[in-house]
Amino acid sequence: MLLSIQNLTVRYGADTALGISSPIEIQEGDRVGVIGSNGAGKTTLIKSILGLVPYEGVIRTKLRPKQMAVHMQFNEYTDAMPVKYIMEAVLGTKISRNEKLRELIDFFEFGDCLRKKYTKLSGGQKQRFTIIMVMMQEAALTFYDEVTSGLDFETRQKLVEKLVEWYRGKRESLVVVSHYYEELDQLADKLLILDKGQVVDYGRKDELFRKYCGRAVIVVNHCEKNEKLLSKCKRLCAPAHLIAVSCESEEMEKEVTELLQKNDVNYKRSNNDIEILYTNAKTVKGGCFDAE
Amino acid sequence: MQNNRRKTVSLQMLLFEFRKTIGNPYVHIFGVGMPVLMMIIVTRAVMSQVADAAIRMEANTSVFLGIGALIPMATIFMGYGVSNAQEIEKGIPQRMELFGITPGMTICNRILSETIFMTMAFAVYFVAGYAVVGMKAPKALGALLYVVCILALSVILFCLSYAISSLLRKFSLTYCVTMLLYFVMMILGGMMGISFDNMPEPVQAVAKLLPVTYINRDFYTVWKGENYNFMPMLQAYLLMAALAGILMFFTLKHRERKLH
Repeated sequence: MLLSIQNLTVRYGADTALGISSPIEIQEGDRVGVIGSNGAGKTTLIKSILGLVPYEGVIRTKLRPKQMAVHMQFNEYTDAMPVKYIMEAVLGTKISRNEKLRELIDFFEFGDCLRKKYTKLSGGQKQRFTIIMVMMQEAALTFYDEVTSGLDFETRQKLVEKLVEWYRGKRESLVVVSHYYEELDQLADKLLILDKGQVVDYGRKDELFRKYCGRAVIVVNHCEKNEKLLSKCKRLCAPAHLIAVSCESEEMEKEVTELLQKNDVNYKRSNNDIEILYTNAKTVKGGCFDAE
Repeated sequence: MQNNRRKTVSLQMLLFEFRKTIGNPYVHIFGVGMPVLMMIIVTRAVMSQVADAAIRMEANTSVFLGIGALIPMATIFMGYGVSNAQEIEKGIPQRMELFGITPGMTICNRILSETIFMTMAFAVYFVAGYAVVGMKAPKALGALLYVVCILALSVILFCLSYAISSLLRKFSLTYCVTMLLYFVMMILGGMMGISFDNMPEPVQAVAKLLPVTYINRDFYTVWKGENYNFMPMLQAYLLMAALAGILMFFTLKHRERKLH
């Protein structure tokens, strides 16, 4: 076991920002996605693990601080020099003499940015700059806190693809905080769902999906016609513009899809839709239901 | 897993801190330009009032040595203070710590880089001093003691500056407080036209607690290698060092990451 959390409470003044009562364990090689709306306690969780905020409870880990790397939501650096020198100072190496660093710089197509000052970098370049240094730490446990926030769709997708490619087949454990379900779909195999500072659930993505959504879900657009068509199906909670139905068996799925095809309705079938999973987990646990 | 232990002082970190030091415009304006300018103006004023060449040289040297104390006050106390506060405001020290660069490493490399910059500033100051002002050459021990006193003052001012900026955590507030203290030290140290002897008694009592007072008022005696009672100066140094040390210890403790 890499890290365990028990009875964790983090308070900011009189407010409890995070309260975790059931134990949470992160094993070696785990890729944990942390999901929750704003103020759910995601960043607070990372900060408490890193010892950046005072907390009550127990966080046990065999890792030393330098074996944990983090890409915070906001990363700032001095603007007194080009980023090349910051990178060399932070990593204690010369770029020209470090093959692995050069490989990472090439991998993230950052070579042309090295002579620029930090404020002159674009949002995506800034993120890549920190990511390269975080990856160079080769930490046993790495945290990525909203690494793609504020980036346009294309840059975001490209960055996540790079992250997925880099970590494929590697043993490092990751904790990835994101509001983008498709990112967690690609990067995480476990999910920690937080809501208003409380844990809604924690477990393997596929197990949680089965628990809250069943074997598979069929998702269609929300309209009167589709409402009538699917009125007899087991409905799941879904964002207001969608209707989601749960299919507990293969037969049921076949029945629903045939019905939709017969009526010429577009649908999406999934057995790992994190958005639907998240919405239903929150509803089941009695959290605020803002989907409908 | 990268487990190689990082050195407290490394060339990359030293260059990094030095680039930050020289990238701060305050240190050039207040740490290099202003002391040279003030030294020239004040010594010119002295020259116009004193006819005797020997007394003029004595007065000029005394003024020169006193104003020299402005260099660490500006480059380190003010310059480093505002730069550190600016970084704290942006969360840069925490970001560096998360990369494994401890406050201790940052402080050590910064002290060295500030020392290098201050040496360069003093070199400019001395060149300007010898070129523009007729100065009395020091005795070897006098020059050595001047270097020791300036270095000791610099370390104390660094600690104070670190503590003030870490406690205030804001550029504007730190700028305000360090600038205010800078002028207070200048005035009480007798560098702004009112000499120690002309100050009211309660003000003298406060001025006596500041090392800059002794550097400005008495260092010419030490410079010439004459007998000097160092005890009051030493007491002022110790008092200021104790204050700076306590504040720095408190801020470092406060900043410490608590990992279980």
